[in-house]
Amino acid sequence: MTEVFHRGGHEGTGAGDPRAPLCVLVVAPEPLASSIAEEVARGLTDIAEVVCADNVAAACAQSSAHPDRVVPLVLMTASPASPGSPDSIDTRIATLDARPVLRRARVLLLTDRAFHDDLSLSVDRHRLHAVIRIPCSPGVLAWHARAQAVRWLSAHRRTDPRTRALVATDGRPVAQPESDLLRLLELETQEVATQLLAGIERVLGPRPRLLLPPGTHLIHEGVDVDAVLVVLRGRVALDHASAAGDLRLHHDSTGSVVGLLSLAQQQRAFFTARATTEVEVVHLSFEQLDRALAVDASLGAAMAAVSIRALAKRLRRADQLQVEKTQLNQVLEGERRQLSDALHQLEQARLDLVEQARYATLGEMAAGIAHELNNPVAAMLRATTYVGEDLERVLASHPQGRLASEIFTAERDRAPRTTREERAARRRLEAVLGDVALAQRLFDAGIEDPDRASALAADPPSLDLAEAVAGIGSAVRNLEVASRRMCELVTSLRAYARPKGEPVSGVDLHAGLEDTLRLMAYRLRDVEIERRYGDLPPLRCHPGELEQLWTNLLVNARDALGDGSKDHGRITLITDAPDATRVRVQILDKGRGIDPEILPRVFEPRFTTKQGAVRYGLGLGLAIARRIVDAHGGSIELRSRPGCTRVTVMLPVAGPPDDEDIET
Amino acid sequence: MKLALLILEDERPVREALRRDLSTFARHVRIEEAEDVPTALEVIEEIDAAGDRLALVMADHRLPGTTGVDFLIGLAADARAVATRKVLVTGQADQDDTIRAINEAGLDRYVAKPWQADALRNLVRDQLTEFVLAAGVDPLPHLAVLDTERALPIVGERGDL
Repeated sequence: MTEVFHRGGHEGTGAGDPRAPLCVLVVAPEPLASSIAEEVARGLTDIAEVVCADNVAAACAQSSAHPDRVVPLVLMTASPASPGSPDSIDTRIATLDARPVLRRARVLLLTDRAFHDDLSLSVDRHRLHAVIRIPCSPGVLAWHARAQAVRWLSAHRRTDPRTRALVATDGRPVAQPESDLLRLLELETQEVATQLLAGIERVLGPRPRLLLPPGTHLIHEGVDVDAVLVVLRGRVALDHASAAGDLRLHHDSTGSVVGLLSLAQQQRAFFTARATTEVEVVHLSFEQLDRALAVDASLGAAMAAVSIRALAKRLRRADQLQVEKTQLNQVLEGERRQLSDALHQLEQARLDLVEQARYATLGEMAAGIAHELNNPVAAMLRATTYVGEDLERVLASHPQGRLASEIFTAERDRAPRTTREERAARRRLEAVLGDVALAQRLFDAGIEDPDRASALAADPPSLDLAEAVAGIGSAVRNLEVASRRMCELVTSLRAYARPKGEPVSGVDLHAGLEDTLRLMAYRLRDVEIERRYGDLPPLRCHPGELEQLWTNLLVNARDALGDGSKDHGRITLITDAPDATRVRVQILDKGRGIDPEILPRVFEPRFTTKQGAVRYGLGLGLAIARRIVDAHGGSIELRSRPGCTRVTVMLPVAGPPDDEDIET
Repeated sequence: MKLALLILEDERPVREALRRDLSTFARHVRIEEAEDVPTALEVIEEIDAAGDRLALVMADHRLPGTTGVDFLIGLAADARAVATRKVLVTGQADQDDTIRAINEAGLDRYVAKPWQADALRNLVRDQLTEFVLAAGVDPLPHLAVLDTERALPIVGERGDL
């Protein structure tokens, strides 16, 4: 059962027409009801009429019958009942509350029972306003009823002239408390202090006023307190020394009595009290206070009121500080989290910088190595050619020069064949010769013609010569192939690691792509590269930067294809010039694609779709790619769906808009 | 019956260099070459059909469309090559691949490029001997390519030979 609990106190449904007659309801069995009504009516003559109902059901029926009646108060007698029973106080009040007009009425319970366990819900919902033991002294019921009716009026009928007559302007009932203490508690602090002082002076005679300049210490923390100071004018701060420095716990003004708290327990002062303005105080020693209280007992109430006010004020201040502390803690916690995030991001950024630095270092190193390799490679390539030429000359002088020269040249220039074809040729030779080992030797010497093979097989010295020159021939060929490949690699590496500087004009974009592909061959080995190159004008650009761009994009494309290249991956490179001023490079892969949710984030620095540790050049890939493209005044776009991811790079033919340095 | 040695390497210069360094074995061992896995499987088929034994495979790490590791793993499950010694020849195997090769392919040795011809020949001799011992092949006809110090005692112990 969920009910919304409305605390009474505002105008609204149920309070009815402000001019409607008020009607106090007495819910009790006759004849008790009549006697209660009679007494209550005496207290409400000028406020409301009194109506009786036998039970709550009858009360509800009455309120339906007279919808114009406004009920400020219900007096209800208790019947012996247990919690949850239909007659329990909770049930009866809940029944009343079903009627909107009764829901706002104040409820007085008149009971002759010594014990109630059937009204917890009503207390919980603030629907029980007073519990009165009956029978009670004559007049008590009338007084109670009147006080409650006035309270109701002050809450619900503030503008009613009847209310104004009954209620003070500050909204509190006119009826003054009869006790000294409650009366004093309603006064201003300053006034109570003044009354206390007046009382004390009646007993002790006039007390001298002490005038103290700002900064004067009235009480020292940790020192025994044996007097109080009544502050008649000025402000006093209460500070407490703590590990975190002086804490301003309280800042009191005129009217406070300093030292009460310490005096109450006769202990050392918890505060340092210091005047913050010029103060006028009256000094009262413990003995003087004691004597005044002993002589005039009525001073006790004033003393108590002063103490309660002071303590209440400080308690409120303490509560407020507690709330502030909790709020501050929340703010602090939030800031701590932000700091921790910021720290994490900084750490990430630092790692990225380290990666970038490593990349730059690697680039420099590659450039250096490429440079150093250039000479030996060139020497090797030339030397290979010389060896070939010289050998031909040497062989020409050999008795069997023609044979040797022929075999050497044939072997050196032999076109590549598949191992399958070679094996088939060898088998044919084996079949003719009938000797596997011999066939192998002849085949290795480049002899495949059966007749010639037979002739050589019968002439061992010639076969030895043939084997030797064939070996030299294939070695020279392999040397040439190998050194040419190294040459290409060195050239590519130098282009790739070209130091930064002014943009270079007349760059062939395809050459750069090919250089990149060559350098990445080890990584793209199991990927089929499809080239659809269009006609491109020469470009003005930073070639090294562009090669890094292609590297990053190709690495991404390769990684998107996934490991385990069971199904041959394919990366397609398409180039064209959409107009005279721009070139376009598209890189397509048939990989798993990029999740649409993260697609917008892929160009962010440090964003990676790859799990695990930071890897060389990765994670920064697309962020770097974008920076390079931006620096060239171009654009990069990424479209992806499973099975097709396409990166499109547009570059201006004229090169970077201004020759700003590219920081990568 | 001959012992067979298979070189699986897709680059001709490397293949030829390997073959030339191993040419001293050629008189006694059947040396076959393959540039890709399908050809290698054909070769194995031929060796088996001729009644020879595939004693040793030297596979390059990077192969068209696959890796030497994957090939050797596949070979480990091939009944014709149970006792075959498996050697990976590579310029660049990362650690994961090497571990996988050892654990799953029963990789016997690992040759880094570039290699020393003498060391390579010793390795091959060693592996052929291992094969002969493990496969229970009669070492006598193959002594020329085996480590005789290890192979001969076996011959002595086996009275039935």
